[in-house]
Amino acid sequence: MEEKTKTGRHSLAAGRKELKEVIDTCNAIERRKFNPFFLDVKLGVETLREFFPLWEEFQDNCLDAHALNRLSEVVRLQNTQLKFQSSALYAEPEFVAKKFQRMSEKRLAEVFLQSWHPTAELEQLTNETVSAGLDYWNLLLPIQERWKRRDYARGKNPEDADTNTLNGLGIHGQDFEARLNGLWKELMEAHKIENGPIDYWKFVKVLDHQETVQRAYIVSFLVTYGFAKMQLEGEQITLLPVEQPTNKPVEGGVSVPIAIPSEVQQ
Amino acid sequence: MTESETESQTKSFYSDKLKRAVHLLFFRRGKMPGAKEWELKEKVGKNYQQVLEQLNTLLAELDLEIKKVTEPSSGQMAENEGGIQMDEPRYYVTLKGSLGLKEAKMIGWRIDNLAALSGAIAYVVAKQGKAPREDVEKVVAQKYGRWKAATLVDIFLRSGYLEEDDAGVMALGWRTKAEVNLPALMTKMTEGRA
Repeated sequence: MEEKTKTGRHSLAAGRKELKEVIDTCNAIERRKFNPFFLDVKLGVETLREFFPLWEEFQDNCLDAHALNRLSEVVRLQNTQLKFQSSALYAEPEFVAKKFQRMSEKRLAEVFLQSWHPTAELEQLTNETVSAGLDYWNLLLPIQERWKRRDYARGKNPEDADTNTLNGLGIHGQDFEARLNGLWKELMEAHKIENGPIDYWKFVKVLDHQETVQRAYIVSFLVTYGFAKMQLEGEQITLLPVEQPTNKPVEGGVSVPIAIPSEVQQ
Repeated sequence: MTESETESQTKSFYSDKLKRAVHLLFFRRGKMPGAKEWELKEKVGKNYQQVLEQLNTLLAELDLEIKKVTEPSSGQMAENEGGIQMDEPRYYVTLKGSLGLKEAKMIGWRIDNLAALSGAIAYVVAKQGKAPREDVEKVVAQKYGRWKAATLVDIFLRSGYLEEDDAGVMALGWRTKAEVNLPALMTKMTEGRA
């Protein structure tokens, strides 16, 4: 915590602000944002002591107690850190991150497998699964009915796709990530120009049909991972870029199947 | 009653209890496999530990063992002496030995997923059992790119190897505590050749 001059600090507002800063720092340490030794606890306690005579209201005393509680939590974390450093599990996080980056995938997998003892368990039927199974069979049409609906054209059987295949298809690796970033930036540029939601087809459609399909595919990733929002109003689909994405799959999202005709009409 | 009759009665008594213990330990009833201590006490009896010892001897021949997990709640690594409430012990049946790469593939694991999992777990352990999700994703993204990193971290969360609280702080999940020998992993990670 940075040193501050003591002149001009003795006001209620300044005291509240300082205590809130102490609490925020302690909370950040508890969330593992900073090392516990980042905070000078002694200075924190001195700050509390300095402002304590000023507190008159109940809320201020609560704030003071809360700050003291948070400081004690930091002391506990400092104690834990010292114990942890003397344990067999201790390693510098930065060192672990560098090791992870340098080690080959195979070696990392081997390291994990050598210390991994998976649990043995058996799956069994429950009332719910039996009930779900019965519902499925009751709703299932006779085989002859289902065969009538089937398209007899048989394609190639599904196969596992390895990394090379995915790279060849352009949907994996650094190129793919660069394309995702590129399209996201393009969407943000378009949003700046239009100053509003962008029409989906206007954004996705290009002259080459294959390229259109690829752009639609990448847009689906942008929407799934919270880099863009998709809005449906009747038949109109619009996109809105998210400037600070969470980079996590959007919770509670729904799948929206979009057919891409060979001739997309703008 | 003759001596042989008493012996056979004891054997059947233990045999019945062994079966009940096996059912509890192997068959998943809720979200997690294994059985809690109170369940074993209730269904197997007060001498459940003797029954488990006997079962352990039998399982050892199959390269399995019963593991008692009494580790503290997530993120409380190395804080045991601070008066923190410990979780109730839970018993699991785990593999005694270890799997090879081919065997791991056969049970549905991809090599790159295992590699990423080792990195994610080692990083969280190095951060004393708790790390912000963004930090974990950054570490994994160094090797796999951020798009795949987010997907991988989600997979680890779903499978119970990691867990995340409302504040976005990740900790070791129940499966890591039950299945991974953390000191061995950390030693191998820090000493491991590239």
